[in-house]
Amino acid sequence: MSDSLLEVSALTIRGEGVTIAPVDFSLARGGRLTLLGETGSGKSLIAQAIMGTLPKGLSARGELTIEGDGFAAAEGAARRALWGRRLALLPQEPWHALDPTMRAGAQVAESHRYLRGLGRRRAREAALHDLAGLGLAGAEARLPGELSGGMAQRVAFAAASAGGAPIVIADEPTKGLDAPRRDAVVKLLAGTPERGGALLTITHDIEVARRLGGEVIVLRQGRVVERGPAEQLLSAPRSDYTRQLLDAEPARWPAPPPPPATAEEPVVEARGLAKWRGGRELFCDLDLSLRPGEIVGVVGPSGCGKSTLGDLLLGLAERDCGEIWRAPGQRLAFQKLYQDPPAAFSPHWTLARLLEDLVRRHRLDRDAIAPLMARLGLDPALLARRPGEISGGELQRFAILRVLLMEPRFLFADEPTSRLDPITQRDTLALLVELARERHCAVMLVSHDPALIERVCDQRLVLGGEEAERVPEDLAALAV
Amino acid sequence: MSATTLFTAGRAGRRRLATRQRLGLGLLGLLLAIAWLTPWLHDADPARQQLVRILELPSLVAPLGTDHLGRDLLARTAAALRLSLGMALLSVISAAVPGILLGVIAGWRGGWVDRVLGSLADACLALPGLLLVLLLVAIAPGNFWALYVGIALVLWIEYFRVVRARTRVLVASPQLQASRLLGFGPGYLFRRHLWPELAPQVLTLAAFGAASAILAMAALGFVSVGLRPPTAELGLMMTELLPYYHEAPWAMAQPILALCLLVLSLNLLAGKDPR
Repeated sequence: MSDSLLEVSALTIRGEGVTIAPVDFSLARGGRLTLLGETGSGKSLIAQAIMGTLPKGLSARGELTIEGDGFAAAEGAARRALWGRRLALLPQEPWHALDPTMRAGAQVAESHRYLRGLGRRRAREAALHDLAGLGLAGAEARLPGELSGGMAQRVAFAAASAGGAPIVIADEPTKGLDAPRRDAVVKLLAGTPERGGALLTITHDIEVARRLGGEVIVLRQGRVVERGPAEQLLSAPRSDYTRQLLDAEPARWPAPPPPPATAEEPVVEARGLAKWRGGRELFCDLDLSLRPGEIVGVVGPSGCGKSTLGDLLLGLAERDCGEIWRAPGQRLAFQKLYQDPPAAFSPHWTLARLLEDLVRRHRLDRDAIAPLMARLGLDPALLARRPGEISGGELQRFAILRVLLMEPRFLFADEPTSRLDPITQRDTLALLVELARERHCAVMLVSHDPALIERVCDQRLVLGGEEAERVPEDLAALAV
Repeated sequence: MSATTLFTAGRAGRRRLATRQRLGLGLLGLLLAIAWLTPWLHDADPARQQLVRILELPSLVAPLGTDHLGRDLLARTAAALRLSLGMALLSVISAAVPGILLGVIAGWRGGWVDRVLGSLADACLALPGLLLVLLLVAIAPGNFWALYVGIALVLWIEYFRVVRARTRVLVASPQLQASRLLGFGPGYLFRRHLWPELAPQVLTLAAFGAASAILAMAALGFVSVGLRPPTAELGLMMTELLPYYHEAPWAMAQPILALCLLVLSLNLLAGKDPR
């Protein structure tokens, strides 16, 4: 079995309300495996169990074979010596994994120096070579805060793989990245098996699984629902759950109903709008108008000013040029939904308390809450919990409830579902659209997924198309 | 900074104290009891001299003995503890209130307000704390109020800095923006968003601040620039009893031990250092 790099047999994880049923898989040289599943399906725990970094209160059982050496999954500390040399982990949200006070080149050189034992100068040269290979030549002197998300991802990859580990584990490597950057990361990851390593990817993005190929394991609530080769499983799923998961991809959503004909006055209108940031023009001469019940989608690469446009319309940011006209008299009818639901609530109070505050502040009708909660599929028992104690999807629906109580005329939804699972995303967006139409509320929906915008929105607005960050053409070829 | 909290919110939402904090609270309670119950249970004037009974060993009449002027040591130590604790409370309140208020204003408004207040804090920091207190004491010698204003003036900066940094982050956060869009005013934003985040850090600072105020006062007393005799004050008592160290070590041990325990209890209560 010299061909097998990583073999996992009967791996189970137990503790505090989590159970992962026995999982078996093996990765040969050049092998690629994708664990696919929604949040809470336990896919990240499997990666942590392999690395030996399970959180306190959880324990693993089973056998691991790494390059022919056997390990008991329960003894996590024993695998510490393998980190970087034989096992490499590419963490979620790499800008959090990089040291914010250390320059990019030094972070990569550090791995070369301490893992491969190179001298100071040789390590520095190796780091520069790595970075240049990833299309980051000239970025070695920058701090992580000065790098874009995609660049930070590549620096983290360089630092993680500098030790030459043949087994690479990528935990949600494409979370929060837009489509072109996601594809670049996938290419980067695909380079590992091409060089004779093994790649284990954890994701909830079906497109990533499809592009990586290899074997796919679908997980749900800690159980393996289905497994098989990617092409077969993703084109002809056998289990209901996999089918649901695939149907939740925006590209497969039903076509939107034709927009309702409306001749009403626009809720918000902008003429010749322009905004600069950091000496760069985000957009200029932008005209738009939103009528009640209309859904307008905004797409564009990260950093192109999508959120800024919404803040301008809400009056939260100052415009540099142009005119904005809002329907008079209703400042509170302009509301916003946030990308990260927990960040939009104070974590210290129960939801009941927060809703009560709102009702008292504006003398709202208490009786309106219960039917709306039922409509949004929210259990009244959730009211006794705090924002951090319910799921992201539920909390986002609470956020929708909160803004709907204000009887909004214009709602700016800033990637409201980008952190949710595909199935939750579809249901949440469908509800949002339905309620907005019913209540004659104009919605401006931001997303980095063009397919989603196409399925949901009446109009589409593309920002910063030509200024998208350039990603090297063929990273896989360069990364060797 | 978020890892250092005076109170750790429990799973059920109740505030639980760590073991060391409970220990600190118990010790502080004991010292408070000694300080305030002694005058009720033991009838002796801390300033009354009895020159025929100097440096007596502990007995039933004077449970902790007498000092070089025949004054009752139990009464004096209790009076000194009362003074120290009252002083600590007063200086903590008068440092925390302006510190929090100015910190929130600076963090919230930003711009020139932030710069002016920040420079003010830097100006206060430019002088060593004890020197600033010495300056004020030199202006009004032996005055309790000069001492207390000086200590408060040194201590407010810590609150200001911590509160300002946290407020800046929170003001830019989506949770505050969301509440503002929902039509809530500054009072609500402070109560629901800012205070729950600030409270643990401010309370930790308050416990540390109380300890440093007590130490500062004792240090000034020891070098005889603080309060004047015959006031019973921990530092002053140490200086007075120092010459009789060989004859009556138990007498000098008392203010030292009281100061140690007092500062220890407050430091235990504070938990980890927030800096």
